[in-house]
Amino acid sequence: MGKTIMIVDDSASLRQVVGIALRSAGYDVLEGSDGRDALARLTGQKVHLIISDVNMPNLDGIGFVKAVKEMPAYRFTPIVMLTTESQEDKKREGQAAGAKAWVVKPFQPPQLLNVVQRLVLP
Amino acid sequence: MTSTRLDTDLGPRLRWPASLLGAAGGAAACAASGFAAWAVLPAAVLLGAGAWLDRRNAAREAARVQAGASFAESAARFGREVMPKWSGHIENARGQMETAVAALAERFAAIVARLDATMASTAGADSREGVVAMFERSRVELHGVLDALRSATADSAALREEVQHLQRFVQELQAMAADVGMIAQQTNILAINAAIEAARAGESGRGFSVLAQEVRKLSAMSAETGRNMAGKAASIAAAIGAAQASAARSARSERESTAASQSAIDGVLAELRGVTDSLAASTDVLQRESRAIQGEIGEALVQLQFQDRVNQVITHVRQNIERAPALIACADGALRPIDVKALLADLEVRYAMAEERALHRGDARPSAPAAADTDITFF
Repeated sequence: MGKTIMIVDDSASLRQVVGIALRSAGYDVLEGSDGRDALARLTGQKVHLIISDVNMPNLDGIGFVKAVKEMPAYRFTPIVMLTTESQEDKKREGQAAGAKAWVVKPFQPPQLLNVVQRLVLP
Repeated sequence: MTSTRLDTDLGPRLRWPASLLGAAGGAAACAASGFAAWAVLPAAVLLGAGAWLDRRNAAREAARVQAGASFAESAARFGREVMPKWSGHIENARGQMETAVAALAERFAAIVARLDATMASTAGADSREGVVAMFERSRVELHGVLDALRSATADSAALREEVQHLQRFVQELQAMAADVGMIAQQTNILAINAAIEAARAGESGRGFSVLAQEVRKLSAMSAETGRNMAGKAASIAAAIGAAQASAARSARSERESTAASQSAIDGVLAELRGVTDSLAASTDVLQRESRAIQGEIGEALVQLQFQDRVNQVITHVRQNIERAPALIACADGALRPIDVKALLADLEVRYAMAEERALHRGDARPSAPAAADTDITFF
């Protein structure tokens, strides 16, 4: 059974682009259109890694990470922030919330896959 | 922020009324003339001119106030009516672009998936190696058939040798039959001589004569047996000769058939080899081209990510435009300066990308980061 990775981004095209990269590497993909939508989709199934945008409507990426870290089933799920934001103070916010890595868009799919392979749960 | 009433803001400037100046001038003229009667006329003219100027100034002031109010009203309407339409059009364009790019990415995803499937079906044991292995199996099996044919031909040659041995035995039999015939002939001559000698001996040779007759009968029977033997040996020799000729023809036919089979099998294998080599080469080309196309699509997908950046820039501008009407005019009808600083601060706080901030600062030609080297930070 393949590993499942959740993509949270309000841009459908970006979710598609990330999804193509992940599926071609053999991962199953779960999608959320913003933080609130993604939380609603985390219903107990195993998720081996989460990739989340930062600037999103309803619930932004930092708030989403904090909420995930309070869910017992997903407390140890690694989260990678994938965002256009590159400011250091924003990165520190992500780190404080519990993210494991910060990747600035645009990204090269092989480099994103390297990050995923390094952090994904066994 | 300070707010000033419209009539104060655009109201009459501090100045002496012209009618007052006219009255003062008239009074001064009267006084200077010693209040002479002729001074009444210039005083009246001055007073009238002052009043006329006052009326003209009041009309101009009213027009100026009216223009200010109209401007305030038009600015408010601009904020209420035009800016939402700009915002709507921007959002509409952004939405269409997002939908189109998402659809484009979905098509690319489908192409990548089909390429993956094609590459999977043309790779590994099921295709190239499979065809080569199938060819090798066919070659081994066909050569096995040839070996079996050659083995059968060898067995047939051994049989022919055995038949040749039989023919030698038949020749020996024929010689033996000839010997029997010779013995019978000599026995017959001996019996004839014995009969002559018995006749010459007279009565005393009668018994010997009977013995001689019996010997002659035996001789005749031996001769008959020898002839029969020779006849049978000849028949056997003829049958063996015929079998030998038939075996020779068969051997020739087998050799020709084996050679033809070898030639046919070699031909088929050569053709098959050509087909498998061509197939293998095509598979290699297909794999190589598929990988190249996947690489191209991968690059296209990287470029599509810039849609996300454009999307964000447009969204930030749209949100700022939506905020603008509240900062252009206030609901109480008071006219106040557009709060440009607040509007710029509202725009700046929305920025998510370095190039937005650079452009805001006024940096020359800020550019988006290249995708070639992804900015990654591990915590």
